[in-house]
Amino acid sequence: MFLMGVPLALSAQNPVIRNQFSADPTARVFNNKVYLYPSHDIKPPVGQRQDWFCMEDYHVFSSENLTDWTDHGMIVTQNKVPWVRENSYSMWAPDCVYRNGKYYFYFPSSPKAGGGFAVGVAIADSPEGPFIPEAESIKGINGIDPCVLLASDGNAYIFWGNGRCAKLKDNMKELADDNPKSTVKFGNREMEMVGVNCLEGLPNRQAEGPFAFEYNGNYYLTYPYVKEKTEVLGYAMSKNPMGPYEYKGLIMAEHPNGCWTNHHSIINYKGQWYLFYHRNDFSPSDDKRRSVCIEKLFFNADGTIQEVKETLRGVGVNKATEKIEIDRYSEASSDVTTQLIDTVNTFRSYQATLPKKGSWLRYNDIDFDCINNDAYMIISVKAAGNTSFAIREKSATGKVLAKISLDNIVPPETTNAPAGGGMGGGMMGRFRRDLRNQWLTQTATLDYIPKGVTDLVITNEGDAEIAVDYVLFKNRPKYFTPATAAPIAPDAEGFIHRWMLLEPINKPNSGNTVFTDSYLREHFNRQYFKDQQTILPKDGQKVQAVFKQEQAPAGFGRGMGQQAQPAQPEVKTVKQTLTWHALDSENMNVKLFRFAEKWGEQVYGVLFWAVTIIDCPEEIKDVRLAVGSNSASMWWLNGEETLLLSGDRRMVKDDAMSSRVTLKKGRNVLRGAIINGPGMSDFCVRFLDEKGNPVTNYSIINNK
Amino acid sequence: MKILRNILAASTLLVAATASAQSGQPFIHDPSTLAECDGKWYTFGTGGGGIITEDGWNWHSGAERPGGGAAPDMIKIGDRYLCIYGATGGGLGGGHAGRILTMWNKTLDPQSPDFKWSEGVEVCYSDGMEDQDAIDPGALLDPTTGRLWVSYGTYFGTIRLIELDPATGFRKSGNKEKDIAIDCEASDLIYRDGWYYLLGTHGTCCDGVNSTYNIVVGRSKSPEGPYIDNVGRDMYHGGGKMVIAAGDRKTGAGHFGRTIIDEGVEVMSFHWEADFDMGGRSTLAVRPLLWKNGWPIGGDQLKEGTYEIESERRGYALELAVDFVRMNVARAGGFGGFGGGQQTNAAPPQPVAEQKLEDVISTWPSGNIPARIGDYMFRPHQKWTLTAVPEAGGYLSNPYFKITIAGTDRALAATEDVEVTTVPAYTGAPEQLWRIEQLTDGTFRIMPKQIPGKEGINTKYVLYSAGDSTPTLAEYDFNSDNSKWNFRQH
Repeated sequence: MFLMGVPLALSAQNPVIRNQFSADPTARVFNNKVYLYPSHDIKPPVGQRQDWFCMEDYHVFSSENLTDWTDHGMIVTQNKVPWVRENSYSMWAPDCVYRNGKYYFYFPSSPKAGGGFAVGVAIADSPEGPFIPEAESIKGINGIDPCVLLASDGNAYIFWGNGRCAKLKDNMKELADDNPKSTVKFGNREMEMVGVNCLEGLPNRQAEGPFAFEYNGNYYLTYPYVKEKTEVLGYAMSKNPMGPYEYKGLIMAEHPNGCWTNHHSIINYKGQWYLFYHRNDFSPSDDKRRSVCIEKLFFNADGTIQEVKETLRGVGVNKATEKIEIDRYSEASSDVTTQLIDTVNTFRSYQATLPKKGSWLRYNDIDFDCINNDAYMIISVKAAGNTSFAIREKSATGKVLAKISLDNIVPPETTNAPAGGGMGGGMMGRFRRDLRNQWLTQTATLDYIPKGVTDLVITNEGDAEIAVDYVLFKNRPKYFTPATAAPIAPDAEGFIHRWMLLEPINKPNSGNTVFTDSYLREHFNRQYFKDQQTILPKDGQKVQAVFKQEQAPAGFGRGMGQQAQPAQPEVKTVKQTLTWHALDSENMNVKLFRFAEKWGEQVYGVLFWAVTIIDCPEEIKDVRLAVGSNSASMWWLNGEETLLLSGDRRMVKDDAMSSRVTLKKGRNVLRGAIINGPGMSDFCVRFLDEKGNPVTNYSIINNK
Repeated sequence: MKILRNILAASTLLVAATASAQSGQPFIHDPSTLAECDGKWYTFGTGGGGIITEDGWNWHSGAERPGGGAAPDMIKIGDRYLCIYGATGGGLGGGHAGRILTMWNKTLDPQSPDFKWSEGVEVCYSDGMEDQDAIDPGALLDPTTGRLWVSYGTYFGTIRLIELDPATGFRKSGNKEKDIAIDCEASDLIYRDGWYYLLGTHGTCCDGVNSTYNIVVGRSKSPEGPYIDNVGRDMYHGGGKMVIAAGDRKTGAGHFGRTIIDEGVEVMSFHWEADFDMGGRSTLAVRPLLWKNGWPIGGDQLKEGTYEIESERRGYALELAVDFVRMNVARAGGFGGFGGGQQTNAAPPQPVAEQKLEDVISTWPSGNIPARIGDYMFRPHQKWTLTAVPEAGGYLSNPYFKITIAGTDRALAATEDVEVTTVPAYTGAPEQLWRIEQLTDGTFRIMPKQIPGKEGINTKYVLYSAGDSTPTLAEYDFNSDNSKWNFRQH
């Protein structure tokens, strides 16, 4: 069997497993990783008792940071274990330990013979399996919830049921022969039980799920039992693995939400103690379907354990670039509540509602070291009306990372169709929707970027209720780097990455369909700035552009509606001071849209000038200039018009080719003008030889 | 004179309109892949709602889809329908922050008591800052693996691929988006014969009669690409081979969907930005989808007209079983044509008139005349006129046709004993109506709407070459040339 790990897009927030139920978590540290062996609640199939526990198999999960969990898939399933009764759906709380080079996975189930519960073992060479189950269950154990303690006395002890403990043989598959035995009465029946009941005389009402461990010379026997109404986690301590144990108190109180069971394990990972436990977050109306949660756990100096409070937040540091379920907050104003996003598909998780101005929630431990200065934030939010909210650092009055206004939530009473009507008007009208209580993915640039690990706070700053689901931060891709002084070669495919780009000239166009050949010739041949066709610009060089600008001609532009031809186009004189930038494009296509976004006044309705200097070691004859551009463009090689791409165009590799040209020995100047209305703008340029192969034997100079 | 010509043009135009476009009210933009539910076909468009056809040809409004937004796709998985839609407008509503959602329904029939859409679940989004615009999803349930893939995006950046869980319609756990193309919108994925195909719409959208919208394709051995076109260019660099563009008085083909009707019978659904015969409105198109050398090609709408009906089996022509009437034309120039050269004093060759209907019709019996298949000699008993009968309804891609001997009312008809004959006059009876579909290899299958004595609409029996010379009706078999015919004008 080939077991493949499936990384879950899951995080540290409670519950930690978010695509299936998981209960009775036994966590173990193997090979510096945390392995989680929970039982696997499922919704009972037809024919099974619908209001009872139902478990048919086990999965194992692992994590190196308690935030990213990998599901290694199913390891043991009920109908492939020889001693387990078919379709018993009773694969309850397991454990797994490593000894003598093997991994021993202990699990209870309903046996084919004898009724009640038995415990079996499956053995593997790796913590992820494959696990081979033994044919028979372990003789002498009648009960559930095995836990194996590898004690410093060199022995392995197995605990089960209501706190019974017996020594294991070295083979880990049988109880030792020298275990004490006692006769226990069950009603009229008498049974011989192996081992000792370590919880006899201690608070032990309905005790189950024992988890024993050793720390600082003490043995701890921790266990769920019913103190008042539902299970709590209690513990007892001893100097010997098999007791006697002394009761010490609670590790965790009753679940506030009423989930009847709890079941747990305790590990130390990288110097911190953690409590793994469960509650029914993804099945609030049925507490037989549970999910694993984690909290930090602390000891007192005398070896006693501090009581652990359940949180939504759980443990672990989130990278700011992860999808962070911010509704699983660390702390919040008293009016904040959480709700399942979808009461049917509960794995869609929760939302947190901040009902009014001043409501806040705080989420701790987000690491911003992965965030650069170009980063932005994404938040999933819904609002009951037009409002605003802020994301702050550390507290409700902390520094503002971003403030987001939601002022288009409520649709305007009347829809004013744009002048000219037509399809554009109709389409626009149809997209003006009522966004009240709709999930929206809001994006915001950051006014402030925190450093290191910090807490984020969301504050409701407006007049309507908001709900939040998740937040994450993204670094923008790199589109350009400053051109270096040294010449560069075209890439392996011949594309020219190095260009001097002039900040865009404002050239209003309602759409790209106006870019006819004659329009382009007229508009590209106008002078916008001095020496337009001869300049060999340097990085940072400024030009004064002075030109006559007409009102946008008629044409259809996406999102702009069909516009009527203005009877008397308005003409004004525009002056712009524009800077040349010497840049190397990260991509084969030079993303002018992103260039304009960073350095331009506007991104749409623009005209770009681009210049590159090609240095040839020798003359290269009969090559063609190959261009793709969005939208139209015109190209001049050594001052001669070489290629025109007209119309509403996308950037297609090798869209248009020049006739055969010669690249002369020494410097050649390639100049382009690219014009765009709405939409993205970019271009790609290379030279191809007679056979269509890229020309690469030249260098591209930075005109420093 | 000028007025008369205008009237003539107008009437021609009407005929063309009934025969060359979906009938009724096929008004839609960005139609989802056709989905069948309880014998009806549905397609859903941008903005909400959709259109329905009972017979495959006549469309009317009435399909319901909440959520608005742009360009949905619809796919049947098990016994449920999964609707995948962009909840936003691809820049139309403002920026390029987009969300794609899925929702289920047990039925597409709004009248059904089971009709209830589940709440939309977001499966991906574009954040408004990236080179991406999350609208226009297209879905593929991979027939080889059962995995559910979705491509989406517009010209604003890339076309992306994601994987959904076909059991839930949710995003597959751990799945990361992959960029597979640029310069497209309204993309779709299909699978055929070991290849995955990415179809994208290129050109100018939403500009009516001036829209240059067209559908291009690239293919890959993996659903995750790279999708390469016919000249080896990656669609991620703008590559794409044309599938269909403007023609037949219609411009702006966009938003591809593929529907497999039968083995070797496929259609593609898409919209025209402007149908010149429908006032320039945006309409649904359903055209034959042909395959040539592993590439999809948009077939033409079958036109009314007079044709040879050629058997794919032998290449003979469907004809009336009547006497072959010899033409008495002397062989000009003796045997000079056989290598002797033209006699120097011979007159230049004169055209020979073809045999006319009136030359032979009196030799034909007056009652039913059986059909036969024979050497094509472009004689009147071999010339068949296809005339659309839109009032009789249709099927995906065409209305029913009557098939008559050119210049007469004598009509091809199915018989009770599952044979084929001709009746002296077309009566409109269902056995005289023919469903004609172009197959993926470019040939056609021809099936009677009904066979006398058999219940219901016929979807099984086709015109069939029992022998080289003998037509019959038999069960359609794509793997046999006996099932296939060509309509030739020559």
